[in-house]
Amino acid sequence: MNPIDLARRLRRDAAFEAAALERGKATLMAAIRQTRAPRPAPAIVPQVPYQDIPAALAFLERAFGFREVPGARFVSPEGELLHATMEFAGGMVGVGGQGHHGAVSPMSGGAESQFISVQVDDVDAHYRRAVAAGARVVTELRDHSWGERTYWALDLEGHRWRFGQPIGGG
Amino acid sequence: MRADWPGLARRLDRGVEDIHVGTREPGPGFGKKEMVNEPSDAAVIGLSMEEPEAFGVIYDRHAAGVLRFLGRRVGAEVAEGLLGELFRIAFERRKTFDASRASALPWLYGIGSNLLLKHRRSEARRLRASARMVAADQAPTRRAGAAALDARMLFPRVADAIQALPDGEREALLLVAWEDFSYQSVAEALELPIGTVRSRINRARVRLRELVEPAGKNRVRTR
Repeated sequence: MNPIDLARRLRRDAAFEAAALERGKATLMAAIRQTRAPRPAPAIVPQVPYQDIPAALAFLERAFGFREVPGARFVSPEGELLHATMEFAGGMVGVGGQGHHGAVSPMSGGAESQFISVQVDDVDAHYRRAVAAGARVVTELRDHSWGERTYWALDLEGHRWRFGQPIGGG
Repeated sequence: MRADWPGLARRLDRGVEDIHVGTREPGPGFGKKEMVNEPSDAAVIGLSMEEPEAFGVIYDRHAAGVLRFLGRRVGAEVAEGLLGELFRIAFERRKTFDASRASALPWLYGIGSNLLLKHRRSEARRLRASARMVAADQAPTRRAGAAALDARMLFPRVADAIQALPDGEREALLLVAWEDFSYQSVAEALELPIGTVRSRINRARVRLRELVEPAGKNRVRTR
């Protein structure tokens, strides 16, 4: 038998979930919207101080799925990155150097004075992603009586984040 | 999610008259070309430079075919995970699409081929499983003697041989053998001169034959 025909005998179709095509389309259209219409900045934007801004940007993207807003960096004349903005769903946070405006990273301050609460579409998937990226979970993922499923994690410098999703189709 | 962008719809309508009406290939393995009275892939991609949502039309046309292609290679679960990623990459690279090609399908498959390189283990696993199934199917034939036994040994060897091919040769071979791609389509997918495609397929053919029939003896008949 000719080698191509032999190889052809091993061709086997997979059986897909009915929603697979719709999910792929949603991914694509979300990516398209992202490039098209930068949302107007929310009225309140928490400014989060870090010792290492580039490391923080990389971590927040890898662990929490935040995306840096293009073209929004402040860079010093010496080329040092001073500030960047990240967005997620409808929200934004500023990522800046610690020490400016009196803000301190928990890494040097030794304490957190606040935490930031984020609503996500799939908190279980988000949790797995965060753990895989090295986020330190401080309150395990679980359901709460008020109808929300949440977990809490510290980022690479110890800022505390809370991720939640309404239980039962949010 | 259906596309409903009034502006886009208007412009695509206009496209029928003055952008470019092309023949659209329904995709490999689906019979002959048909004339369709709608904008070619190239026209839609061109339009998506200004109207990014137009790229959704490319998805609607090709996603099912692309998903089946990925599924044959790495199974349903991995394929479903790659589908949206593949089209997102295509969207981001749409400027690089060669507008002289009417169909975007080979280009999309080429992006898929690149993504599949990161999933070699899933691919190997699926290929081995396929080989076992084909071999098992051979067993209960009437002539269940030597031929069936040979086949049981043969198909796992074919699977191993395909896996052992260099990436570029394996990709070209499987596009031809599984996707019924012409050499021209393979060349478009892998962005290679057609002569390179031809020599890759030939090398893959030779390697497969050597690996399957090591000493040129022990010739296997499967029919």
